[in-house]
Amino acid sequence: MIKRVLIANRGEIAVRIIRAAHSLGIEVVQAVSDADRDTMAADLADRVVVIGPASARDSYLNSDLVIHAAKVTGCDALHPGYGFLSERAKLAQGCEDEGIIFVGPRAQVIDDLGDKLRARAIAEKAGIPLVPGSGHVRTVSEARVAAEALGLPVVMKASAGGGGRGMFVAREIDAIDEFFDRASNEALEAFGDGTLYLERYIENARHVEVQIAGDGKGNAIHFGERDCSVQRRYQKVVEEAPCVLMSDTLRKSLHDAAVKLVSSLSYLNVGTVEFLFDVERDAFYFIEVNTRIQVEHTVTEQITGIDLVQLQFRIAGQEPHSLPSQSAITINRHAIECRLNAEDPFNNFMPSPGVIQHWCAPSGAGVRVDSHCRDGYLVPPYYDSMIGKLVITANDRDSAVQRLSAALEDFKIEGLVTNIPLLRAIVDHKDFRDNSFNTKWLEQSMLPEFEQIQKEE
Amino acid sequence: MAKPPKGDIESLVRQFDSSDWTELHVKTNDFEVYLSTNPNSSKPGGQDDAVAPVNASVSFSNVGSKVESVDVVKLKTESARSVVPEGMVGVTAPNLGTFYSAPKPGAAPYVSVGDRVTADTEVCLIEVMKLFTPVRSGIDGVIKEICVADAEMIEYQQLLVIIDPA
Repeated sequence: MIKRVLIANRGEIAVRIIRAAHSLGIEVVQAVSDADRDTMAADLADRVVVIGPASARDSYLNSDLVIHAAKVTGCDALHPGYGFLSERAKLAQGCEDEGIIFVGPRAQVIDDLGDKLRARAIAEKAGIPLVPGSGHVRTVSEARVAAEALGLPVVMKASAGGGGRGMFVAREIDAIDEFFDRASNEALEAFGDGTLYLERYIENARHVEVQIAGDGKGNAIHFGERDCSVQRRYQKVVEEAPCVLMSDTLRKSLHDAAVKLVSSLSYLNVGTVEFLFDVERDAFYFIEVNTRIQVEHTVTEQITGIDLVQLQFRIAGQEPHSLPSQSAITINRHAIECRLNAEDPFNNFMPSPGVIQHWCAPSGAGVRVDSHCRDGYLVPPYYDSMIGKLVITANDRDSAVQRLSAALEDFKIEGLVTNIPLLRAIVDHKDFRDNSFNTKWLEQSMLPEFEQIQKEE
Repeated sequence: MAKPPKGDIESLVRQFDSSDWTELHVKTNDFEVYLSTNPNSSKPGGQDDAVAPVNASVSFSNVGSKVESVDVVKLKTESARSVVPEGMVGVTAPNLGTFYSAPKPGAAPYVSVGDRVTADTEVCLIEVMKLFTPVRSGIDGVIKEICVADAEMIEYQQLLVIIDPA
């Protein structure tokens, strides 16, 4: 049982974690940067410690600082949230060395799954289908040979990376020459490692992912899948659960694959196994495992009725029978989440930090808003621009979409520019309503249309 | 920035102390005073300011009830920051850590009250996960106060030592 947890994160997820901890009787020490002293998380926590300056590199991204803060405030656990240090094996290892429970997987598993090539090897060994891909490519000529073997188009990816950096699609062989150095340099800059690999590129892909949890002893269960295909620059914008496009047969083998993979690692705590769903071929391919709670965990909570952050604490605290049996997980209803960002969709998604003069969120049956915002809150310029998540739950997708549209219309945020107009346009778009889109739809089809309409108005 | 008459500020502080306000922010053309019962509170930044600057007028903002704010203060006293007296210079913590006044247990402290220091004089050590970083005075002067006890936790920007640059 955990008694006191240090939260090494900020924003809406810090608030979310504090509420889950308090509901389990766990005391909370909130680590904040200088810029986050006056925040909802700081107000809700039992104690606040200012660990460093506003710059994340000297505060939220410094694992020694957050572990030291946990130690000196008498915490027996540390929750990393998502982003920041959540998937750094060094933090998990440091906690273990200091006798602090890391609310997440073991350091070795984070390390293995964090390296995409090692993760692919683990998946392959567990018999999970992969997108055909190459090993490391170190030169342009190696990349050309690999691309010809895989068949075009191919996508170049950073071995150490994620989030779309160092990622390029080559549709013809000469594009390899053009993109190789850029991809390698981007990877080097973003992750300190310029190693690339290639994969076959799927034209009509949906991004589906399975929420899992494991007890660290080889037992694992799933909580169904999410469909997160509305993306811009590999960042998810709208997420939903379940993926209604998928047949029950394929869905079952998708869940089985995810559980098999994490069981093979004796995975501890919650995680997400990401796949590409190849709609034409009715097949799925492994992408990667995220060894943390994800932003979009909410839609899974809505359709299963399970509080996943509480579950994280129960598993980490080694409570007996903390992992539910698979048969106890029933999935019904449909949930959709929109990420609200302080950014200007009419001006190249420019971040728009500033003071929220007025925050009026929709409410009512089936409406959930996870946010750290309130009247007078200053959205600081130092961190990512997400200001909240609107999650709608209804009996089926059509009613969820309808309610989401109304809830977005009711959402009033004054004082700064948000992406709500874009979210409304997405949700009201025929393709979205028809569930007829793929991972490239937003960028290649919807956004150009959106911009055209703006110009005409 | 012109200084307001000293008596005016004292009178404001007295009024604030005897009131049930938790925050007071006065801003005129020439000066600005921010008072708060919350030691975590810092002077609001320009755009964060809910109080409009009015020509030589005084505005009050009451944030929350007194009872709530007292509870918050009690729980969070450890992040309190002392005040540097006028004319003195404070040395503050560059990050959270553990404060050590001496190079090792039992050794003489780096500095004591009354010691003369130069900008390069080490005044204490800050430990983060067994990594010890010396903190220097940064200014020539005389040690007036050491604000933290040995081996205590300190937070970012917490006042460690007060130096009289005279």
